[in-house]
Amino acid sequence: MKKLLSLFCILMLLAGCSSVGLQDVSKHMDMLTTTASAAQKASRPITDEEEYYIGRAVAARILSSFSLSKNRKLSEYVNHVGLSISLHSEKPHTHGGYHFAILESTEMNAFACPGGTIFVTKGMVNAAKSEDELAAVLAHEIAHVNHRDGISAIKKSRWTEALTIIGTKAAREYGSQGLSQLTTIFEGSIDDIVKTLVVNGYGRSQEYDADKTALDYLSKAGYDPSALKAFLDRIIAGGKASEGGIMKTHPATTDRIGNVMENMPSTGADSSYVRKRTDRFISFLR
Amino acid sequence: MNTSLFISSLIFAILIPLSAYADSARVITIDNAVREDCRFLSPIKVKVRLNDILDVLSKEGDWIRVRFKGSKGCIHKSAVDEKSVDISGVSGTKTTSASRDEVALAGKGFNPEVEKTYRSKHPDLDFQAVDRIEEYKIPDEGLSKFIKSGGLKQP
Repeated sequence: MKKLLSLFCILMLLAGCSSVGLQDVSKHMDMLTTTASAAQKASRPITDEEEYYIGRAVAARILSSFSLSKNRKLSEYVNHVGLSISLHSEKPHTHGGYHFAILESTEMNAFACPGGTIFVTKGMVNAAKSEDELAAVLAHEIAHVNHRDGISAIKKSRWTEALTIIGTKAAREYGSQGLSQLTTIFEGSIDDIVKTLVVNGYGRSQEYDADKTALDYLSKAGYDPSALKAFLDRIIAGGKASEGGIMKTHPATTDRIGNVMENMPSTGADSSYVRKRTDRFISFLR
Repeated sequence: MNTSLFISSLIFAILIPLSAYADSARVITIDNAVREDCRFLSPIKVKVRLNDILDVLSKEGDWIRVRFKGSKGCIHKSAVDEKSVDISGVSGTKTTSASRDEVALAGKGFNPEVEKTYRSKHPDLDFQAVDRIEEYKIPDEGLSKFIKSGGLKQP
């Protein structure tokens, strides 16, 4: 009975901790959590939501140089092709979703805005000879979104500065000065990305990785992965490899073909469906 | 009352308030859907929006079985942020306030306020065209039909 009484006392003490003492423990835990959140926030990467707002501004900047196609039928088709691939990517859902739009330009080009808005020029669509080739172009751009290559173009010092402002104001609304400073950093970040997308291009390894990932997406979606090679081959054959647009910002096409060949999946696609898809591609281009 | 039953009852009484935690998931996309089956393009059970909190029931690969507003279904893991949340009620409104803090912290940084200021500095930029691109939605049925007719793989 003594043992039982002792055990009862110990349990009651524990019970006391769980009802009254735990409130204090809880307060301390809250403080620790707040401190931990602040510390974590101080070194956090750009969130998906922030990537979305960056992507919107990048899209707006691109639209200041190119006009949006009014061909609703073709835009709808390109969206169908793009979404058929993006749902097979590592990140089928982004904060704002994937959106595909056509730019009225004869230049061969495509741009992946952070967050999932992808532009492809009319020149690029016309350069493709089948739905599978168009899919290859879009798969390459979806890979850039998933790899966050646009975000990586932002100078590290900008984000470090942004985190300082966010961190010091994390517990309350930041004032107009903080907002103004953040907007300046935001503006600089957009400049970094647009410069990379339009002028300098991504690094060689980023492009090779995007091609490699594109092959994987095409295979998973049921498109013919060899369409990427076929598209690049024709660019060389047509002497377009030395022209501007995408060729100005991408590695030498012959090198890309080598990389694509090395990573080509062993599984192909059903040729009867490839023909069927080519027919619908042609019907949408008319 | 025998000794073991007495001790078990006491331990149970102590541990209940400490173990009332459940998994929940916060929606991190602007809009999404809880679907009937764990696959894309499966019929929609209920639509969800950014920051909605879903109860996690179980996991199936890249999919999570959830409950929201009385409806049970699946959502892909890339659409949510998972977290254990206190649902005991012992701590009063703590669950709600924790979520609000989380949402408030998540909203800091490059957010709509920053975009608004950026837009006012650059009135020449056509954000309305960006809105139009984003508002353009492809219905699930149409996409499913497109995938099927092209001999592509259902995601």
